[in-house]
Amino acid sequence: MMVLIILTAAGILAMFASVFNGRSVVLPVSLSGLFAAGYFALLEWNTNTTYFEAMRMDNFAIAFTVVCLFAAFVFLLLYHYMHYSSDVHYAEVISIILFSLAGVVVMVSFTSMLMLFLGIEILSLSLYILAGLKKKDLLSNEASLKYLLMGAFATGFLLFGIAMLYGATGSFMLSDIAYYLGLHKAVAEPFIVTGIIMLMIGLLFKVAAAPFHFWTPDVYQGAPTLVTGYMATVGKVAAFAALVRVFQLGFSPALETYQFLFAAVAVTTMFIGNITALYQKSVKRMLAYSSISHAGYMLIALMAANEVTNGAVLFYSIAYTLASLLAFAVVAILQQKSGSDEVSVFNGLSKSSPLMSITFAVAMLSLAGIPPTAGFFAKFYVFSAAISDGWVWITVLAIINSFISVYYYFAPVIASYMKKGNEEGIVLATPVKVLLAIIALLTLLIGLLPGSLSYLI
Amino acid sequence: MIPQIFQTVPIEHFVYLSAVLFVIGVVGVLTRSNAIIIFMSVELMLNAVNLLLVSFSSYHQDPAGQIFVFFIMAVAAAEVAVGLAIITMIYRNTHSVDINDMSRLKG
Amino acid sequence: MLTSAFYFIAFVTIFFAIMVVVSKNPIHSVLYLVLTFFCISANYIFMLDATFVGMVNVIVYAGAIMVLFLYVLMMMNLNAIAEQKRSVLFKISAAVTGGMLLLVLVAALKDANLQIQGSALEAEQRIGSIKVLGYVLYSKYQLPFEVASILFLVAMIGAVVLGKKDNSTKTIGIEPVK
Repeated sequence: MMVLIILTAAGILAMFASVFNGRSVVLPVSLSGLFAAGYFALLEWNTNTTYFEAMRMDNFAIAFTVVCLFAAFVFLLLYHYMHYSSDVHYAEVISIILFSLAGVVVMVSFTSMLMLFLGIEILSLSLYILAGLKKKDLLSNEASLKYLLMGAFATGFLLFGIAMLYGATGSFMLSDIAYYLGLHKAVAEPFIVTGIIMLMIGLLFKVAAAPFHFWTPDVYQGAPTLVTGYMATVGKVAAFAALVRVFQLGFSPALETYQFLFAAVAVTTMFIGNITALYQKSVKRMLAYSSISHAGYMLIALMAANEVTNGAVLFYSIAYTLASLLAFAVVAILQQKSGSDEVSVFNGLSKSSPLMSITFAVAMLSLAGIPPTAGFFAKFYVFSAAISDGWVWITVLAIINSFISVYYYFAPVIASYMKKGNEEGIVLATPVKVLLAIIALLTLLIGLLPGSLSYLI
Repeated sequence: MIPQIFQTVPIEHFVYLSAVLFVIGVVGVLTRSNAIIIFMSVELMLNAVNLLLVSFSSYHQDPAGQIFVFFIMAVAAAEVAVGLAIITMIYRNTHSVDINDMSRLKG
Repeated sequence: MLTSAFYFIAFVTIFFAIMVVVSKNPIHSVLYLVLTFFCISANYIFMLDATFVGMVNVIVYAGAIMVLFLYVLMMMNLNAIAEQKRSVLFKISAAVTGGMLLLVLVAALKDANLQIQGSALEAEQRIGSIKVLGYVLYSKYQLPFEVASILFLVAMIGAVVLGKKDNSTKTIGIEPVK
């Protein structure tokens, strides 16, 4: 509860600061808001406090909240250093980000469908706006409109599913729905099945899993690069946490209804994401397809639905968030310098900025799942969750996919080390340098000491 | 007290009515190319859901369904405000709101 | 009486909804959509005993949201511009998709047997009344109610940020259409 209040208050302060010519206080206010929110979230660790029967801050919710707060922190700093003087809407953007984080908190801690819906809408609405930030750039306009139309369409399906479940069970509370499903063995009841499938379609749209992924590449490519990074990290992780939560708390008694559907979706998502990524010239678009394929890997953990699922999804989210933050940060900086997002902008990066080329390499290693990075253990936990339930075939397919992905992840890394290019040094602000280094170190550290992180929740 | 209507018209018919409206909305989204009409079709889908929720709410005699409808209306209003702002912004740049004109993003 | 009224209204609703999707002129679409909303509201008020929701539906949807649509359409003078045709094949495939979705829904719900789930309210209270709804909204649904305000803040800022004209830079990307 405190988390929501602090984030909203910080957002309002940031919004008003620009009215009273206080542009310089926006960043301190919002960063301290993020820290306070994180602190108050962690205070509730192990307490399982429930608020108004609508949200519960259990460990799952707190862990995902903190991950998203960290990603937002990185994003805010980068945004500050890249756009402080150039963007007219600097303060408004930051306040929208803070409000969207309130949506994230709701999305990962809901116990009723109403809160799920509100959380998703707050986050999505913020992302539609952020995607269209470059008002005069037609690509950004297009991304924003596509995202809006597709998102609203998906919301329709989500709501239809919720309404059907309400019709069958007479409640919006996840616990009531789970109770009903357990009591009636209502696995084959038409209202329940239609409800679950429609809701699943709506949520799969939001996490960009195939066959509902078609909006992702266009939106990710058209949106301003930092916003794409925000969508690919916070947007994706929060939507995934919501998906896990609703299926685990609400529908676990009806597991056999949807388990195979998830398996099919996971396999198609991985293959479509990885194979299409091979053909991309734009690094941004390549990362978009890669983020689609990562949704596929995470769906495997969700499908397994055993006691290690939560831990595996959390670990995967952390590894994926860290690596994506690094990748998008580097791409954003290079794009601002050169105005292009093709692989060729990486030529000679190891000379012009050794730090950026090293951190980018770490990010790619982690996304490809190569030890000793966090990405390796993320995949390891997901696969072991699947194998412990006997899903060997899907694990084999996932490992094949990991090998495919190595090819396209290495293209920009090779370009930055092997090819000659513009060797003029790139100057970065010190905090950005420190930030990049810290994230890269964290990725390696988690990879070397995976330890208890996966048993956290 | 359960509305009289349910004695003669089964709840399933309300469900069919809203399913038909929902599908008309879906077809509208898929077939039209004017962004504003697509957006209106989405509103139609949301209204189909509202009808469904209110029917269930009356049927179960539980106010929660009608409360949910208020929230859907609120969210729809917010979404329309942002959506029309986006459409206006695009119209200013291209003098068109046709999604066929928007295929610059390809790869 | 009520039964035949329901089927009549249902028929009219579906007719108007189809007209929304097929009309060529966007202004007509908006007006048909308003009529659809009126029919749905009639369902709420006369059939389902949900008077307050019915009234709010007319005021908010037909009165506010659709007027916003109408306003934008008229401001852009869109009915003067002909909509580009999508290929017939595409339209047919979309219609088939929709038809299949409907078929699946109807088939799935054919032998549904919906049980009434018990509710805490006494029998004589009318759940659609403002009194009951207001009480529930401001007690049990307090938190969602507050959270919705964040949504409005986002929408408000967003509409201002995106809707404001800025003349600072030229349009970039590929040159504007037409």
